[in-house]
Amino acid sequence: MSRERHPRRRGVLGRLTARTYVALVIFFLFAPLLIVVVVSFNSTPNMNLHAGFSLRWYRQIAGDPLVVAAFGRTALAAVCTAVISAVLGLSGALGAVRLAKGRWRTAVFTIPLIPLAVPALLFGVGLATFYHSVGVGFSIWAVIAGHVILALPFVFLVMGAALERFRFSLLEAARDLGAGTFTIFRTVTMPLLRPAVLGAMFLSMAISVDEFVIAFFTAGSQQTLPLVLYGRINLGVNPGLNAIGSVLLVVTMALAFLAARTSVLEIP
Amino acid sequence: MTLAADVLGPPAEDILPPLRHRAKARREHVSTAMLLAPPAIYFTLLFVVPLVVLLVYSFYTYQNFNFTAKLTLANYTEALTSPALRDFYFRTLKIAFAVSIIVVAVSYAFSHILMYVLPRAKRILYFLVLVSLFGGYLVRIYAWRTMLGRDGVVNSFLISTHVIRSPLSFLLNSNFAIVIALLNFLIPLGVLPIFSAMQNISPRLLEAAEDLGASRIRTVRTIVLPLTIRGIRAAFAFCFIATMAEWVTPQLLGGPLDQFVGNQILYEFGETLNWPLGAAIALTLIASVVVILGVLFGLLRLVTRS
Repeated sequence: MSRERHPRRRGVLGRLTARTYVALVIFFLFAPLLIVVVVSFNSTPNMNLHAGFSLRWYRQIAGDPLVVAAFGRTALAAVCTAVISAVLGLSGALGAVRLAKGRWRTAVFTIPLIPLAVPALLFGVGLATFYHSVGVGFSIWAVIAGHVILALPFVFLVMGAALERFRFSLLEAARDLGAGTFTIFRTVTMPLLRPAVLGAMFLSMAISVDEFVIAFFTAGSQQTLPLVLYGRINLGVNPGLNAIGSVLLVVTMALAFLAARTSVLEIP
Repeated sequence: MTLAADVLGPPAEDILPPLRHRAKARREHVSTAMLLAPPAIYFTLLFVVPLVVLLVYSFYTYQNFNFTAKLTLANYTEALTSPALRDFYFRTLKIAFAVSIIVVAVSYAFSHILMYVLPRAKRILYFLVLVSLFGGYLVRIYAWRTMLGRDGVVNSFLISTHVIRSPLSFLLNSNFAIVIALLNFLIPLGVLPIFSAMQNISPRLLEAAEDLGASRIRTVRTIVLPLTIRGIRAAFAFCFIATMAEWVTPQLLGGPLDQFVGNQILYEFGETLNWPLGAAIALTLIASVVVILGVLFGLLRLVTRS
């Protein structure tokens, strides 16, 4: 009974067509990313693919105080977004699992997902008018406050998945052995949830680093890296842009990869 | 096995024991509320309130590059009746439909092949698609300028292979460029829900269909498609919403006549400083998106039921 019944056998031609199709889609998804990275190492300012290898554009942006400052702000935003959203997410998720399974608990895990369905443009102009109405100026902190909202859905998804597998009997055991609330949190809850918390933080950082629209509406003069990139695209083509783009790309992908490694993005 | 796997173990029902005392129960309630409060307050203050403020601003009066808290419906009249805005709106709507349909078709075929034709490669291919999600929103749009420009990669390639003599000009600053860039950014987001819906179909169902002699097409039509309709709906809705509210792609890749409603909203916020009108356009846009999706999915339900 070892006959493999599923998938069905198909003709050679069918499989070849399928492979070609998949290859084309993957190529289409990655082509622009590869181009940016390749061109960023070009020795000539034009988009010639046959130019020699050079690091001149990286040297150029590394010596550009505006880019360096923006890089610092982007890093600050990423770290702050990750920490704030992780604390809020952890607090919320731990509160949610104390609720009995049912409508309330579902709501607590569903409501934070709403921003996923709201276009960044709407949230961006909403946040800008909100800051205007309460007299808060635009700054990197205004951006961070918005990025936390964008990161929270993912934090809740990750925490929710981790808590699904959480054995609450362990907390009970700790309590029966005489541990206090704080000791339980420090020695049982936290160590078990650490992969999820770390993964959620990496994911939040990836989201914040790459985020453009909210930053566009609320950063004011304190530009992040995507904003600098945007400003210079509008000024005209400049090969240094590919270097900035490549840095953004590599950083976001590395963070996403770290999130996946800490077993967050579960791949079926 | 690692310690973590030991401790986490298989999925278990949460076994919060019955509470013994009333006082203890009350304490539990208080601490639950204290745990839920920070995210709830944050979410309300920085997500709900801003959208409410936007709604309030949409009723403000605009005069001489300034606006006052005098309530009016003028912004909505303008947003709903301006012929210029109507052009922006229908242009956006057309592209949103085209992009969403193409994304669903491409993602569906892709997911289907991953699941049923090349199952051994599905993990790595799905992972690649996920990775490309983190390829940078702005960087990706910018990359298409390098790809599609007059001296861009595509034109250079076509000229060097003698397919064309002079560069194609419709590639950049056109609807074509906008659609290509949107597809590039949205296909991973289409694959995500459709693939996970297919993943949830039990292989036994398909085996049963095969054993009962159903043709491949019939199996897809009567089993796979109905069971993945939720994934299709999610993919379509996501792409539709994202495209309707897009403004960066048309600005960077479209011509002056290819701009979206989003660009007009941006214009009101950035150039004329007519925030009330910008807010009114944004809110009517979203309301229309909700209505369109509602009608569409309602029709879909009618069709699939009959």
